[in-house]
Amino acid sequence: MPYAETRISERVRERRWRAEQIAPYLFVAPFVILFLIFGAYPLAKSFLLSLYITNGPRDVVFVGLDNFRYMFSDPNFWKAVRNTAVFTFWSIVLQIPAGLGLALLLNSPWMRGRNLFRLAFFSPNLVGGVFVGVLFSVLFVPQYGLINRGLHALFGIPLDTRWLADPALVMPALVMTSLWMSVGFHMVYILAGLQSIEKDLYEAALLDGANSWQQFWHVTLPGLRHVLIFLLLISTIGSFQLFELPWVMLGRGPGPDASGLTIVMYLYLNGYVAGDLGYASAVGWTLALGLLVVSLVQLRLTGAWKPRAS
Amino acid sequence: MSKFPYGNSALAMLGLAAASGAYLTLNRPSKAKPTLRLWTFAKTHGEAYQQAVPAFVKAHPGVSVEVQIVAGEAVTSRLQAAFWADLDVPDLVEVEISWAGSFFRGPLESIGFLDLTERIHQSGLWERVVQARFAPYTSRGRIFGIPHDVHPVMLAYRRDLVERLGIDVEQLRTWDDFIEVGRRITQPGKRYMIELPDTESSRFEALLFQRDGGYFDEQGQCIMDNEIAVETMKMYVPMVAGRSRIASDLGGGQIFTRAVEDGYFLFLITPDWRSRTIEQDVPRVAGRMALMPLPAVAPGKRRTTTWGGTMIGITRRCQNPDLAWELIMHLYFNREDLAQRFRDTNILPPARDLWDHPAYYEKRPYWSHQPLGALYAKLAPDVPFQYTSPYISLAKAKMSEALIGCVRYYNTYGERGFDGYVRKQLEQSAEEVRRAIRRNPYL
Repeated sequence: MPYAETRISERVRERRWRAEQIAPYLFVAPFVILFLIFGAYPLAKSFLLSLYITNGPRDVVFVGLDNFRYMFSDPNFWKAVRNTAVFTFWSIVLQIPAGLGLALLLNSPWMRGRNLFRLAFFSPNLVGGVFVGVLFSVLFVPQYGLINRGLHALFGIPLDTRWLADPALVMPALVMTSLWMSVGFHMVYILAGLQSIEKDLYEAALLDGANSWQQFWHVTLPGLRHVLIFLLLISTIGSFQLFELPWVMLGRGPGPDASGLTIVMYLYLNGYVAGDLGYASAVGWTLALGLLVVSLVQLRLTGAWKPRAS
Repeated sequence: MSKFPYGNSALAMLGLAAASGAYLTLNRPSKAKPTLRLWTFAKTHGEAYQQAVPAFVKAHPGVSVEVQIVAGEAVTSRLQAAFWADLDVPDLVEVEISWAGSFFRGPLESIGFLDLTERIHQSGLWERVVQARFAPYTSRGRIFGIPHDVHPVMLAYRRDLVERLGIDVEQLRTWDDFIEVGRRITQPGKRYMIELPDTESSRFEALLFQRDGGYFDEQGQCIMDNEIAVETMKMYVPMVAGRSRIASDLGGGQIFTRAVEDGYFLFLITPDWRSRTIEQDVPRVAGRMALMPLPAVAPGKRRTTTWGGTMIGITRRCQNPDLAWELIMHLYFNREDLAQRFRDTNILPPARDLWDHPAYYEKRPYWSHQPLGALYAKLAPDVPFQYTSPYISLAKAKMSEALIGCVRYYNTYGERGFDGYVRKQLEQSAEEVRRAIRRNPYL
């Protein structure tokens, strides 16, 4: 082979080799660039901001960890944490079992109009928190509201019960509203999980003499394990991010005695009303880390995550 | 025709993106910007300004003014974000009284509004306007807003029912008189003397201002636990709590309409703006409602207070502050326009020299033919000062918490130990506010 030709083919090979080396980086580059701009940079910036007292982005005073120290000594922060935790607890305790119940009902072979019910139960989730908040703030009106009228007729509860003005009743009202909004979402996931459980397992259980409860306990629930763990995690994360529902229902504020104050509302009030983005960043980071810990604990308790043995 | 390699869905999305991109490119919004852009949160204000703008534009050839109505608290959050980002900042903005303080948190030179102190003094507005109304828009001695209103407060009442019950409103001179009659005529669950909430502090703070109390003093120091606040709490809570309560609250909207129609409340704390709301929300009681001055704390003391308010400010980004100032003068101090606006909204303008217009003396059939404007104007010069702070929202929230705590205590223990409990609650609330203030490196 002439020398020149050998040189050309080597060059082509080298170019191809380089292109092959670069190609994967080019493929991932759009994501990496966008992630760096819209993900990593804001994260790093917000962490830095959390070390400052700010008045908008220009007036900043370095305070080190003082924002965190102040936050942990602020009774309002702990009130927000307590309210959010209570809401999360009741949301999970009510929404997942209610979603499971509905899904079992709709999965029954004798159930007719399954698609219609599925749509009906899921639709509150489609309209969003603001719409649901407005709707329920009308339903909860004392004296003339539908909920008080219904409860009065059924249980004799006073007509002037003030769901959204009595600090003791704000959280039950929020939990009820959230239940109505989210139960269909859980139901759809669980229904999909139910339909993926092998029918053979039920037949085998039946042959072994298992009754309905035993089939549910030993076949259905284990079959739904992954779906339920997923729902547990996203319910927890979603509940910890609660904002628009109480914001709308309580007239754009934390409600009486701050009984509807959530962590995200606390963050918003400090960041956008008080104007301290640094403090709001500290709250945001604390929320993110808190959620991470709660999620890991949940994964550990449900056995979905086991730390690697040393 | 060869198939698109990524499928028909991707092809459809691509086509849609190309079509919408082409549409947007071909239909670019006009680049012509108005000379002045004004944001307001109140629809009634916006509509009135839109009517007033043509006359201003006619007097200023080549000038254009755009009035934008930005909903509720969105004004505050959007404006705050606009100030920070230095983008989309309007030239003039109306801000609600409880939110104004939040803009005064940083160093004076960083406040997004122009300092109007000199203009106010040079133009004579300082003498014309009820001076108490500048206080909520003042920070560290500098004034950043022109008051839109005075909002003096009266008591609206169901005249027909009050007369039937044999109550002589002329005799309700002090709160003690009022409470005494209230205890006589209140029937729990059926009829209450007055509408007062026990879970939020808007009406409580009006009564606090009546006594020259407040959240902050002129220097921005938190005073919400002083003796005036203690005395106000000790008067207010027994009205809304305990066995001898004379007040209730059901909220707004339809329920409020029904409650007034049914005679559930007899008296309502009513600033001028609310008198219009009542006319609109409860039209069926027209001719059966009337107004009276607020009972005084003691004989001969102030018979009014204030509730609510709005300021207009010129932003630092405004390219033409002189023109913006002229627009404010046109919108806020035009005699004839304001008289008509009063007829539409019942809101008394803040300049005293405007109150002699016949519009303010017109008798209103809804209010039993009382001259609504004259009644409010008579009380307006006496409205109390209310000073603000960047921490006003926190202070209001803490006051509400203190109120709720005191109501709970009173419902359980009554008068026993109540004085000490009130003091402790207010001190705790005030200390939380002071703690937040101490962290601010700019004040």
